Amino acid sequence: MKIYTGTGDGGKTSLFSGERILKDNARIEAYGAVDELNAIAGALMAALPDSPQTSAVRTQLSQIQSDLFHVGAWLATTPDSPSASHLIPLTADPGKRLEGQVDAMQADLEELRSFILPGGHPSAGWAHLARTVCRRAERRAVTLAAAQSEKSDQTDNVLVYLNRLSDYFFVLARFCNHLAGIKDVIWRG
Amino acid sequence: MSSGGDKTAIPSKLPNLYAAAVCGHTWLAAHSFEIRFRRPAEFAFLPGQKIQVTYEGIKRDYSLLTIPEGDELAICVRHIPEGRMSPVLAHATIGQIFHLTPAFGFFLFQPSQRPAVFVATGTGIAPFVAFVRSGVRHFHLLHGVRCAEELYYHELLAPAASSYIPCLSGTRSPDPHWPQACAGRVTAYLENKLSAGDYDFYLCGRGEMVRDALRIIDRRFPSARVFTETFF
Repeated sequence: MKIYTGTGDGGKTSLFSGERILKDNARIEAYGAVDELNAIAGALMAALPDSPQTSAVRTQLSQIQSDLFHVGAWLATTPDSPSASHLIPLTADPGKRLEGQVDAMQADLEELRSFILPGGHPSAGWAHLARTVCRRAERRAVTLAAAQSEKSDQTDNVLVYLNRLSDYFFVLARFCNHLAGIKDVIWRG
Repeated sequence: MSSGGDKTAIPSKLPNLYAAAVCGHTWLAAHSFEIRFRRPAEFAFLPGQKIQVTYEGIKRDYSLLTIPEGDELAICVRHIPEGRMSPVLAHATIGQIFHLTPAFGFFLFQPSQRPAVFVATGTGIAPFVAFVRSGVRHFHLLHGVRCAEELYYHELLAPAASSYIPCLSGTRSPDPHWPQACAGRVTAYLENKLSAGDYDFYLCGRGEMVRDALRIIDRRFPSARVFTETFF
């Protein structure tokens, strides 16, 4: 299959719901940030050392990558359009799953009383980058939600998921350093 | 090579693949034919979706012509004598086994208040046949082919359409048997003849057609919604 089609050469693309819009549209910005986050999650997985504990993290990240495809699909679809009926509904479950994973990792970590500087093991560095891009994706999704005339459960669940996912990546960054035997670098101000 | 007589050697369902036996074959025009498979149990799909047919390592995507409630899966194939898959399908025998992926894709009809304009070239008519067989009506259809002989499925499509417009790219003059036909490509019709409006466009065919049609749509119909299925 050819990867290039030439259909976007004029600076426009199609939403999943069919509208032709410019590629700098707020909706493209939102799912573009989610796509960027997904790529970073892949880099994070590649940077994880092999161990039984990282194997579990790898499984979590693989599920997150799948979640992000669903999130991207919803962001690429105008709410209440006919196309939305073809998408798998986003529920609150993935966000709750993340909460459980955050709690499990935190149980192995020292309580944090200060800000920390991003860095440490390469996998932790990628997790911090994922956290920041996740926050950007969340901000873009907030922009879309604010522009919507009506409340949407799907949009609400996207916002909850991205908010929780950012927390997950923050804790995962610390967990990656913990697994590598690297201490958090405390910000001294 | 037929594997139809060796069914016991072929699992009925490989991981992510269904084994399907050929149950019918019909030439539609000199270079195009329809091939039908017995629908495997549990094979589900939506009108407009496609499958990938695999045979001895060769893989090709085809849109389904049939509806989910039927006993058969049918596809429309352009015969390319020097190709690798279409000659195999063209000479397939009844009972011969091919492996099919589950149906995939999102080229699905989206009910809307806007007029729908279906644009197909060649065998790209397939998903629109599935749409009509599933009950879709009141659409405008442009079918681009080289000559009128290739206007397969017109008996099904024309009565269901608000307007059925063959676009004959291999002729310069009107065909007396097809007074509603236009000489030229579907893109010429979009450029010069389709009246202004807010449409939902559905484009299915070769990449060049989809690309050129989108350029015209972006310029002439900026508020359009567009759904595309590209044949490579």
